[in-house]
Amino acid sequence: MHELAIAQQLVELAGEHARRAGARRVTRLNCRIGALRRLESDLMSSAFEIARAGTACEEAELVVECVPIRARCPICAQVFAVADWNWRCPDCAVEGEPLPGGDELELISIDADNELTPGAAEHES
Amino acid sequence: MNVPIVRKVLEKNDAAAAQNRERFDRLGLTCVDLLGGAGSGKTALLEAVLPILTRNLRVAVLEGDIATTRDAERIAALGVPVVQLTTEGGCHLTAPHVQRALGELTLDELDLLIIENVGNPICPANFALGEHARVALLSVAEGDDKPAKYPLLFRGADLVVISKCDLLPHVDFNLAAAKTDLRRVNAAAPLLETSARCGTGIDRLAAWLAHLVGSALRIDAAGSAVRTNRK
Ligand SMILES: [Zn+2]
Repeated sequence: MHELAIAQQLVELAGEHARRAGARRVTRLNCRIGALRRLESDLMSSAFEIARAGTACEEAELVVECVPIRARCPICAQVFAVADWNWRCPDCAVEGEPLPGGDELELISIDADNELTPGAAEHES
Repeated sequence: MNVPIVRKVLEKNDAAAAQNRERFDRLGLTCVDLLGGAGSGKTALLEAVLPILTRNLRVAVLEGDIATTRDAERIAALGVPVVQLTTEGGCHLTAPHVQRALGELTLDELDLLIIENVGNPICPANFALGEHARVALLSVAEGDDKPAKYPLLFRGADLVVISKCDLLPHVDFNLAAAKTDLRRVNAAAPLLETSARCGTGIDRLAAWLAHLVGSALRIDAAGSAVRTNRK
């Protein structure tokens, strides 16, 4: 389950950046994940719950922006999201040309403040 | 407060992978990551191609496995140096795993290091190891819907090997449909149809790998540390 490895890295990265910004508690992580990563949102939520325990992210919310796979229609040139592996243009019904992207896996920003979390307090003592 | 970050989530692994890669480049050693689902035939493919490769190249294998040493024993039986890397339940190898295992090999006496990743079509594709090239396996026994299910595996591949092609008459696998899906996620990588049992395509796989090593050697001989065979 790579969801756990990814959740652990997210929590670690968020904690580091919060510390650097002089904050003690992370309340929200905003990340961007491409559809090609095939992360299951249920698994990701439970992995995040496991990973955040006892850290500065203990009370944080994980907000995921899902980036779809995209294709461009060779007829009408519109760019459309490939949902359920359907590569046909919604208007022309012809196969779209694949566009780059969809493999994003980034932490975009965090919301943080100076409230103590029980986890962070433990780490400081 | 809002703290902007915009960093790759797996940047620590990527940094360790870059260190591995630098080490390989310094030594003139080519490293290939072999990926595919459990039962896709990675070890059988190695058993078929290694005897050809070892005629001209010094090859070693890092064998990634969740717990058992069965695959490593099959490689060792060919007289090829092999290091077993168990992930203790983990579903993928990471660059630090590889870093630790490299100490067990005499790297400066090698031309090619093949890492057989853990049999899993999803997780390992997320983790760079420092390899120069990725070879992704799709066996016809797994079904032609796999490129759609595991697109990242094929998106990142430099070569896609369709394995167990001797089974094509016996399984419900639409080769044309699989190729279409593979092209959707990766238009550049060559596709190679193989059968480890019949020997189909094994010479071409050996040639592809030897060419990868050869292009690295030629570049080293020219005195440049820059390799061009990996994007
Ligand atoms: Zn259209």
